[in-house]
Amino acid sequence: MGKKTMTLNLTDAEMKVLDQLSEQKDLSKTSVLRQALRLYQAVDARIAIGEKLFFEDSLKQKSELMLF
Amino acid sequence: MTDVSEVFLWDRLNMQLVPATLYDGMTQTQIASATASWQPWVDDYVAVLKQQNVHMEDWPQHAHWNWNRKASSVSGLLAYQLLGIECDGLMQGLMLTGTLGRCKISNQAGNPLVDVHFLATAPWNLRSFVSQPRFGLVGKILIVAAVQISLDNGFRGRIGLHSLKQAESFYLNDCGMTDLGIDTGPEGQGLRYFETTPEQAKIILNGARQ
Repeated sequence: MGKKTMTLNLTDAEMKVLDQLSEQKDLSKTSVLRQALRLYQAVDARIAIGEKLFFEDSLKQKSELMLF
Repeated sequence: MTDVSEVFLWDRLNMQLVPATLYDGMTQTQIASATASWQPWVDDYVAVLKQQNVHMEDWPQHAHWNWNRKASSVSGLLAYQLLGIECDGLMQGLMLTGTLGRCKISNQAGNPLVDVHFLATAPWNLRSFVSQPRFGLVGKILIVAAVQISLDNGFRGRIGLHSLKQAESFYLNDCGMTDLGIDTGPEGQGLRYFETTPEQAKIILNGARQ
């Protein structure tokens, strides 16, 4: 599939997080951002139809992740 | 958008490789057409099994999968890809992959991988349905395609999947994936989980090139 290139302006803090995720996940920075976009779209689509996003801890306690 | 490439299937009738088309990005029309051609085979076979009082546990486990609903639920979402192999004017296999999964093998735990959510071969290619299956290599080529998606995404060929019991031997022995045992978590549904390392992915790809 065709690809387009864009320039991205990030703050130092954002770039630091991008660097960390890139290293932790064994991914290029581009791949991290593409993953982030896919995840954002997938979560947003579920929220848009009225579903909720929960995290469950080791004690099976659920907490809702609020998205705005 | 659909990417199209040429692959080869093993024609068991004429004992030769034959060209086929791999679609990456299936339309809902293609899915509907594929399932319409598969369903009569499934219905006929299930009718025979019912007649013979065969227990449901021994029916083909993916017979109930609704590909139209799966296609509709992921339509437009970047994280999911629907692939299919067409040969002889019919869809010979379908696969739904996702890119939001995380590895479980300890030395790559937490890294992203390509999840093979569903993979099915047309009923006329399965020994469980017919005594003389038509085409071979369908599952293998779809797994190779999943590895390629993983490479394209920078995941180094890592893929993972939960296998139906009837397909466990294929993923373990034919694909050489690591068996991580029965997944008792909510997403596992009591199915056995398999995953590849980058090294295993290379072997899968090299096998496809031979």
